Amino acid sequence: MNVLEINNLSVSYGAVQALIGVSLYVQRGEIVALIGANGAGKSTLLRTISRLIKPKSGEIRYMGEDVLAMRADTVVRKGVAHVPEGRRVLARLSVEDNLLLGAYTRSNRPKIRENLERQYRRFPRLRERRTQLAGTLSGGEQQMLAIARALMSEPQLLLLDEPSLGLAPIIVRDIFQIIRELNADGVTMLLVEQNAQLALQNAQRGYVLEAGSVILDGKGSDLVDDARVRKAYLG
Amino acid sequence: MDFNVLIQNVFNGLAVGGVYAIFALGYTLVFSILGIINFAHGAVFTLGAYFTYAFLGARFGFNGLLANQQLPFGVPFPLATLFGGLAAGVISVLIERVAFRPLRNRGADPLLTLVSSLGVAVAIVNVIQYLVGAEAYSYPSLTISLGIPPSVMLGGERPIVIRTVQIIIFSVSMVVLVLLTYFINYTKVGKALQAVAEDQITSRLLGINTDRLIVVTFFVSGFVGGIAGTLVGLSVSITGPYFGIAFGLKGLAVIVLGGLGSVPGAVLGGLVIGLGEALVPAQYVGYKDAIAFAVLFIVLLVRPRGILGRTLVQKV
Repeated sequence: MNVLEINNLSVSYGAVQALIGVSLYVQRGEIVALIGANGAGKSTLLRTISRLIKPKSGEIRYMGEDVLAMRADTVVRKGVAHVPEGRRVLARLSVEDNLLLGAYTRSNRPKIRENLERQYRRFPRLRERRTQLAGTLSGGEQQMLAIARALMSEPQLLLLDEPSLGLAPIIVRDIFQIIRELNADGVTMLLVEQNAQLALQNAQRGYVLEAGSVILDGKGSDLVDDARVRKAYLG
Repeated sequence: MDFNVLIQNVFNGLAVGGVYAIFALGYTLVFSILGIINFAHGAVFTLGAYFTYAFLGARFGFNGLLANQQLPFGVPFPLATLFGGLAAGVISVLIERVAFRPLRNRGADPLLTLVSSLGVAVAIVNVIQYLVGAEAYSYPSLTISLGIPPSVMLGGERPIVIRTVQIIIFSVSMVVLVLLTYFINYTKVGKALQAVAEDQITSRLLGINTDRLIVVTFFVSGFVGGIAGTLVGLSVSITGPYFGIAFGLKGLAVIVLGGLGSVPGAVLGGLVIGLGEALVPAQYVGYKDAIAFAVLFIVLLVRPRGILGRTLVQKV
């Protein structure tokens, strides 16, 4: 079953076309990678799904429902969580407050506590630093916090925007280890990455975005070997 | 200044400062969410005072559309204050609807919103004048209505005399401050407000309905503004439709002094200016506004971000 289905989506910023007729789908349990150069429209796509940006035309369906008829907070309530580019932790709030705000759309307190405990088990560093202001965390810790915060809303679909951005290789390895574990636990993901190799190695399928259009799609392993992808993105 | 007078003045300063603080928090809440000074806040303060007057069941004067009118019922002063605050909160929400939201939805420059809020302030002042005239109003004496003594004496032979009204004002301000602090720091909505203040995009990604929180912010801001209006009206009187304008300027001095957008800064700024004014020697009391703004001027020269303000970080 398709968790997410996008048909013919176009977005423009004034006169600039950011996305042109993009279609893609994500099936339950998949990691789908969206790769492409800087400015290809990857983040725009995720932001459109999260209802931060209004598209010009096209259709987005999540679990069969029309996303473009929903408010941003409804999308989260229905089970789509977005880990934004640059992590965007709430620097002036504590780690724990950040996590609890991740569960803003949830109201069952015992379940929220349970979920918090689960995130602390998954990310022991966050437990150690839970009273610290999020702004004092290292980049890798902030990325973990951003992911854990998104998981606090108990998402069915996780949108990950550049989780490796600006992190040391060893931290990136940790983050992708976590991404694989989450996927093994059943979390479906749409993963945006500039690091194409890493993304495609971890994804079941991938799409290549160039200047706002999908120019290529296929199995992750096939795309890694594709000559055009190798030339353009894997050097 | 002899010791007794000093103590009395300090207490006056705390009472006035407490009102400055809760009034200024109304500015601070809106500023921290929208980055805009709500110039209509002083008018909401004025309205709060008039609403309380009406809820007391008191009769309006001889001018204006509502001349000689009064509500068919009256409630005791504490309840009237509460209702006055709630009504001011509702007005504040309406102001957000007409003067803030339309511009925000069109992505207008914050400077334009500032001007439209100023316009609303002028309109409210004129409507008040049209309805109830330009004369001053005083609340019926609490001494009579609640049966409390007009002042309290502390000490034996040369007692320190403190007006009961000052005690009431100070206590109410402190209660409002404590409730507000609790609301902001320990409730889910309060945390969400902090999140919106820091980063609206992230807040929306977390499922926070930012428009609804902005409404909550304006309501709370109007509520505390209205209560402040009532307290000042109780201390002196409602001096007329322009009642809140001078106070509004003072409130701006308070938040700038404490640091724009800082909640503890607004409280500290309020107390500093309140105390500063109260300690002005009696023969110079006509200059106390000048002294308040001079304090502000000097602090800003030394510390441009205010006492507790953060350095402004350019948001992306």
